[in-house]
Amino acid sequence: MENSFVELNGRDRAKALFDHGTARELVGPLDNLYSPHLMPQGIVPESDDGIILMKGQIKGLDSVVISMEGAFQGGGIGEVGGAKIVAALEQTLKDNQNGHKEYPIIVFDTGGVRLQEANYGLLSISEIQNMIIALKKYVPVIGVVPGRVGAFGGMSITSAMMSYLIATDEARVALNGPEVIEQEAGVREFDSSDKNLIWNTLGTKQRAATGLVDEIVDDDVDLIKDAIVAAIQAKKDSHRTENVDFYLSLLKDIDFNQPMDTEEYRKLFPTVKAGNHHIVEAQKSSTPKDKSRGRLWFEKLTGIENAESEVSTVLHATVDGKEFIAIVPDTQNKRFPRVRAGEVGLMEGFTVAKIVNQVIEEDQDKEQKRPIVCIVDVPSQAYGYKEELIGINVALASSAAAYAKARQAGHPVIDFIPGDAVSGGFLAHGLQSNRMIALGDDSITIQAMSKASAARITLRTIEELEEATKHVPAMAYDVFNYTKLGALYKRIDSIKSWDASDKNVARIQKEIDAAIDSTKGQPTDLSYRYTNEIAVNEGRVATLKMRKAVEDQWNN
Amino acid sequence: MEKLNYKFDTQEEVKEPVHVGVVASGDLEVLVYPTTDPQTTVEIVTGSNGFGKVWKNVLDRFFARYPLHADFKINDFGATPGVVNLRLAQAMEEIKHGE
Repeated sequence: MENSFVELNGRDRAKALFDHGTARELVGPLDNLYSPHLMPQGIVPESDDGIILMKGQIKGLDSVVISMEGAFQGGGIGEVGGAKIVAALEQTLKDNQNGHKEYPIIVFDTGGVRLQEANYGLLSISEIQNMIIALKKYVPVIGVVPGRVGAFGGMSITSAMMSYLIATDEARVALNGPEVIEQEAGVREFDSSDKNLIWNTLGTKQRAATGLVDEIVDDDVDLIKDAIVAAIQAKKDSHRTENVDFYLSLLKDIDFNQPMDTEEYRKLFPTVKAGNHHIVEAQKSSTPKDKSRGRLWFEKLTGIENAESEVSTVLHATVDGKEFIAIVPDTQNKRFPRVRAGEVGLMEGFTVAKIVNQVIEEDQDKEQKRPIVCIVDVPSQAYGYKEELIGINVALASSAAAYAKARQAGHPVIDFIPGDAVSGGFLAHGLQSNRMIALGDDSITIQAMSKASAARITLRTIEELEEATKHVPAMAYDVFNYTKLGALYKRIDSIKSWDASDKNVARIQKEIDAAIDSTKGQPTDLSYRYTNEIAVNEGRVATLKMRKAVEDQWNN
Repeated sequence: MEKLNYKFDTQEEVKEPVHVGVVASGDLEVLVYPTTDPQTTVEIVTGSNGFGKVWKNVLDRFFARYPLHADFKINDFGATPGVVNLRLAQAMEEIKHGE
């Protein structure tokens, strides 16, 4: 096709957006910053790690373009490429803070986390999201999804945070790919061989009709460029992650036990009116609830026995000046069958977002911002057809954005991890914290995808996957290897996940308070994770090298 | 995955580094760096094992025709000899274009 944008590779897409002769590539292929994690796993690396960064002018506006090479490892985000994006957004933020208007544009072509570097991918994506939230205070952050891979996984959550999202009708946006849903929830939930169903559900036309994409543009370089510039000049902002009241109202109108097709949803969507929602605190009750590590510690830390709340899967309460939030299983959940095991679904994402936004609002005029303690025990995000149809990526983006905003406003956000911290669930509830405390318990899984799905997607057997991940912290499934990345503030080995004795609870309270104190006078971003000793010496060496390279090349 | 290394005697000096291609399925990227070493080196990382002889043939022919003097780095994801030739020719064009 003449003047096609989609048909260009990642580098040529970036170049095509700039005014002729103004583009300058930063930390390009010749700088030799390869991913250190691929070759040891027998995978051919790429010299730019699949992320292209350019600065220049678009119709005279100083702009920064970050473009993903979807043809290299499905555009997956690993440590090096992820750090390139974060560093570029951070430099753009600094320039804007110093009064130099500079516009960030992200061209999405990515399956999300690069599974061979799963833990780095998740950390990077949360760090990217943090920067986008910070940048939106200064300039619109424009996203383009041209198509081929589209925007999937954790990067679909990122796409939902963009001020304005442009796509061609060759693009798809979804949290979970159909193959993963089929793997996790069965072929009756989502048939990954039904191409029409996939495109009708996840394709741009449906997405634009239901608020997940802001504008459809024909596949033409000039038209895409025009759309970007128009959005910048009009200071467009869809506030997609702030429509929480709308979605909480919408969810009330849908029966999740009945099938719903794209037509029905398209009809329903424009009729929904945002109501006023307020999520009240969890209350004591006399009926025992489904046990989980998250619930156990929520109840012990807040003193609320058999805690009950209107949304049965989300518990929150302010106790001793700290706001505790937990997502818990509800095996009897009648309305949302896909979150019975404690997964983070639509209701959970929007409800947590609402709670955190309430806290921000209540403390708006206070000098001392209330600490938020995120109790993390999330086995994954919810895998379901209707979840994707409605936009679970927006739900998860809403809570991640709320946590990021709270932290940036000065609320210490502390994770306490007595349970699993997996994938999109962790991105939505946990990865926007400035300090993470975890228990040193073998039962805790920290990862980007279940072993079954990761094996299917990377074309390996589960045995091969287990062998490959055993000694590679980048891929590890356990909290002990995870510690080696430098992501944790503290790991407490003497207390096990189910061991919430009074003495242990008192110890954890103390550790949480110490973590809160450690944030005083410190940056409100996520830099703690890559600047601590473990990170500097071992866990984030490649991240820091990339950060330095971007900084060195930024202005010359 | 396999790593391959070759050396060639060549004369045509390359002044600027060059990059072409993508490590996509059936494709490769070629990086060319100027060198002061007496020999041209080619370092290949390939996802397809056991094609050392084919690579040697392709490179022999390329350097016989275009004796570029530089360090070559190739990251290959299963490209056919035809695609390899195409990318090498593209790299050469970039080198000529840059001069």
